[in-house]
Amino acid sequence: MEAISNPILLYGACALVGVGIGVALPRKGRNPQVLGALVAAVGLGGLFLWAGIASQGALPNYHFYLFSAIALGGGLRMITHPRPVYAALYFILTILASSGLYVILSAEFMAFALIIVYAGAILITYLFVLMLSTQAPTEEETDALSPYDRFAREPGAATFVGFILIAGLTSLMVTGAPGLDSASAGAAETREGYLERLPGKVERAMQRTEGEDGEMLIARSDEVVSVDASDRTALVRNTDGAERTVPLPADLSLRNVEGVGFELLYAKPGAIEIAGIILLMAMLGAVVLARKKVEMDEEAKLAMAGGDA
Amino acid sequence: MLVDIATMAQGDFPEPMTGLTLMHYLMTSGLLFALGLVGFVTRRNLIIMFLCTELMFQAAGIALIAFSRFHLNHTGETFVIFVLTIAAAEAALALALVVLLFRRKETLDASSWAELRG
Amino acid sequence: MTSGLDMLTPLADLIGSGALAAPPAGEKAAGAVHGDIGAWVMAIPFLPLLGSLLCVLCAIFKVKSKLPAWITVAGLAGAFVAAFVMFQQTTGADGGSQWAVAKAFDWINFQWGSEGQALVANFSFYVDSLTCLWMLFVTGLATLIALYASEYMSHDKGPGYCRFFFAFNLFVFSMACLVMGDNLLLLFLGWEGVGLCSYLLIGYFYKKESAVAAAKKAFIMNRIGDLGLSLGVMLTFVHFGTLEYAQLFHDPEMFPKYLALAQAGDFASIPWQVELIPILLAVGAFGKSAQFPLYVWLPDAMEGPTPVSALIHAATMVTAGVYLVARFLPVFAANQAALGLVILIGAFTALLSATIAMRQYDIKRIMAYSTVSQLGYMFVGVAVLAPSGGAFHVFTHAFFKATLFLCCGAVMHGFAGQLDLRKLSGVMSMKGWLIVSLAMLVGCLNLAGVPFTAGYFSKDMILAESFVNGHAIAGWVLLITAGLTAYYTFRVFFRVFVGPTHAEPGEDLHPHEGESMEEAKANFHAHAPGWAINLVLGILLVGSILVAFLYPMHWADDMIATSTAGGIGAGDHTGTVLGMDPHKVMYYVSAVFGVTGILIAAFLHGPKGLWSLGIGNRSEAETSRADALVPKVGPVAHLAERKWLVDELYHATIAMPLRVIAHISHALDRLLVDGLVNLFGWLPRLFGRTIRPAQNGLLHSYAIRMVGGVGVVVLLVVLVTLL
Repeated sequence: MEAISNPILLYGACALVGVGIGVALPRKGRNPQVLGALVAAVGLGGLFLWAGIASQGALPNYHFYLFSAIALGGGLRMITHPRPVYAALYFILTILASSGLYVILSAEFMAFALIIVYAGAILITYLFVLMLSTQAPTEEETDALSPYDRFAREPGAATFVGFILIAGLTSLMVTGAPGLDSASAGAAETREGYLERLPGKVERAMQRTEGEDGEMLIARSDEVVSVDASDRTALVRNTDGAERTVPLPADLSLRNVEGVGFELLYAKPGAIEIAGIILLMAMLGAVVLARKKVEMDEEAKLAMAGGDA
Repeated sequence: MLVDIATMAQGDFPEPMTGLTLMHYLMTSGLLFALGLVGFVTRRNLIIMFLCTELMFQAAGIALIAFSRFHLNHTGETFVIFVLTIAAAEAALALALVVLLFRRKETLDASSWAELRG
Repeated sequence: MTSGLDMLTPLADLIGSGALAAPPAGEKAAGAVHGDIGAWVMAIPFLPLLGSLLCVLCAIFKVKSKLPAWITVAGLAGAFVAAFVMFQQTTGADGGSQWAVAKAFDWINFQWGSEGQALVANFSFYVDSLTCLWMLFVTGLATLIALYASEYMSHDKGPGYCRFFFAFNLFVFSMACLVMGDNLLLLFLGWEGVGLCSYLLIGYFYKKESAVAAAKKAFIMNRIGDLGLSLGVMLTFVHFGTLEYAQLFHDPEMFPKYLALAQAGDFASIPWQVELIPILLAVGAFGKSAQFPLYVWLPDAMEGPTPVSALIHAATMVTAGVYLVARFLPVFAANQAALGLVILIGAFTALLSATIAMRQYDIKRIMAYSTVSQLGYMFVGVAVLAPSGGAFHVFTHAFFKATLFLCCGAVMHGFAGQLDLRKLSGVMSMKGWLIVSLAMLVGCLNLAGVPFTAGYFSKDMILAESFVNGHAIAGWVLLITAGLTAYYTFRVFFRVFVGPTHAEPGEDLHPHEGESMEEAKANFHAHAPGWAINLVLGILLVGSILVAFLYPMHWADDMIATSTAGGIGAGDHTGTVLGMDPHKVMYYVSAVFGVTGILIAAFLHGPKGLWSLGIGNRSEAETSRADALVPKVGPVAHLAERKWLVDELYHATIAMPLRVIAHISHALDRLLVDGLVNLFGWLPRLFGRTIRPAQNGLLHSYAIRMVGGVGVVVLLVVLVTLL
């Protein structure tokens, strides 16, 4: 906590990150990108060190540091690499690392969606466009690259602004995030409420879960009539029509994809429709924009018409 | 490598996450955002500039997911869905525009499209 | 015209309808006006107005014939007939003061306040014998000169012809308003109207730079005088509360009261306003009638076509000032200083311009200076309280000066614009020029004051009255001027019209095709005047002679006696000239001066032979005995030729300082006013230039500034949250 009151380490690390970015940016003359990357890495390390000191007892697990470092390193390499194709590939690396972060954050569905949509679809589009619009030079001929790829513009000003942003955002997070209240159990209960809408899931889970007595909670022929999420019980009816209340299994909870599904399709059905329309429009727009007008003279038109006839 | 997902994910899902833990994710997100911004400002290749915007989307996505985890609900995650949507739409349209511009001038330099200057 | 227009209202009716507060006293009561002459009165101004509108129509329909001239002649002849009928009806046998007001329509009629304050200035006409006298020669001469101009201007048929006759008609309309108006505002309207027409007609040849400059000069000079007149009008209204003659001249509380006070010698009881009015009016009169400080425009006004010079700048418009003084003689008589001023200025101008005329070579300019000189006579005439002499001189002068100008015009027309008396000689003996020469001779005799001519009689009236009324110095000055006048008049006649035949064409000569300028000059033949010019000159010739017979009939005396100027002459003065009664001896004295002048002119400029009484010896056009005299009188002759450097003096004392002020103002305007305005225009431009690079169209610079903005916001938020 004293680091917050004495934030030399924090802002020094921010400055190091900024300087590292600035050094790593492509420019004319000598271009010590590795040095820049090292400086930035040291700064990043300083930042995480500071954060670790600040939040003893509440550290994220080590995977976070791994994926963060990979994501940030990929990002840095992406913005400093002179070759657009490599930049796109480093961006894929960043995507993959951030999908790892998503997994750590219990957002498996979004992690896979990210890989599929971003790394799979969007980045492939980028690569296609890159192939369409640049002459790919060989590995050694960096001079053959377009000058606009070899030299960054205004790296000094950009670095300064970047430092300001890093420092400002970091300070805000440092002051803001620790003060936030953790979600209460009530929020989780509300989310668990979706279980009431999934009696089939509950039934299957109960049929596979052993009770304290070593038996399955309910028989395969039993049927879950309704679920009461608030006291975690289910109303079960057997083949005879007799009904009884059975407690839910302790580890039964809503899975990530189910939670997202309910949130999207049950709580915000209009938004997903609009998103679909936006995507359709974007597709149409892309087709219309990128269409190449084929100039045909009169003879060619006549030939086509004749061919049709 | 099979990673125990429950181990990675800070324990069981309903387990609350402290603000101090959240701070780490937000810090990563802010750094990524700043990187994207610096790249957008410094790079002159139109495609890389768009890639940088995607990087900034990504940073926003990490922050959203982190908040989603922190608040123990799925709102942030659904927002990431929409971010993805927008990113995809933007990529389609922007890249179509890039192709169009490239056809006209045979260059991807953003500085060569400055005719609107007053 | 509607019946409302021809309503002629004798004063008796006005009193009956309560239009006047109190009836005028005694013999000033309105006499009976014979018959209903309202329609005739209306015809005088409105026929020329109709004519001018028709001329506009002619211009619109691009008439290329002499139609505008015939319209003008017909309209003006109608106006003359109307004026004659008006004269016949107004001057009855009973000899009492007769006047009437004929109202055309309401013009200005403001009423305010609880005490009946009102500013009434109707478009109505005041008819008395003074009006008649003026309108007779205005309309008569206008008719003749229009006829003359129909031929004179014929080289310019088309739009210019229409323009000329439009302005000509408008001038007669304005002059009628000036002379006949029954209030000072209508007089002012006419006053400005004639000034406008004068401007338009002086600048008729608007492509000629000198003509444009002369027009502007006339206009601006007149503005100075008009300032005095308008102040006088305002002061009259402020003091008397009305502008209508019917009240001013006939209400016993107004002019008659002060006139009576003045005649009783009680000048102390006259308020200063009443004493100031005549001085202000006199300033206006000096401007319009080209008297001393303001006379310089009139010689330059000769740039206009000669008929214009004859009508406007010799016969009619320039006598408006004399009319003003004569009309307002009752109020002039109430201020001895004003009368003295008018006498002083009149006599001085007469002498000054006569000396200038002696040394000019341009015959039209000589006539112009002669006009200025004669106007000085007229002012002296009215100001020595001999309005009949002044008015009669106006009348006779109008005839013979118009004659002289028209003769000069005929010469100018015939000799391609030649006006230099050194380059013309013996015109009388050329074929077709006899009538012109005879008319010129009669005009010269009149102007020189040769016994038994009209000019002789009218001049004698002024001279005698100035001696009788105790202004002997003015009388002597005028006598000397009469001698000078005779000299310069006959200088022109002897050099141009008699002697060896010689003619050089003027600057208007246009060579025929395949002819050089020298050949054209060698082949030049004078273009003798046509029937219209000869007819007009013939009529004027006879008219100038016949006018003389009005003198024995005491016509002018009678006319003035029955007008507002009647009964003002100070009867008890008995000045003398050379110890004798001026009325009797002046015939001989002025005759001696005039004849002496003619003899000197004959000696110095006359050719050999009978025409110059055998004393001249000039044998060629260029030189004469006078040239030998010039070196002997030293710089005087030179100065007179340079018009006593008055123009240069004005230039140095008025124009130059004004120009300096104008330059200073211009500099101030440029530096201070423009600078301030430019500064206000320049600041936004500077601002724009400062921030314009921001809009350079480069995506990156926008992006970096946007990012910078975000950075600033973040910093602000950080500072706010941390501090």
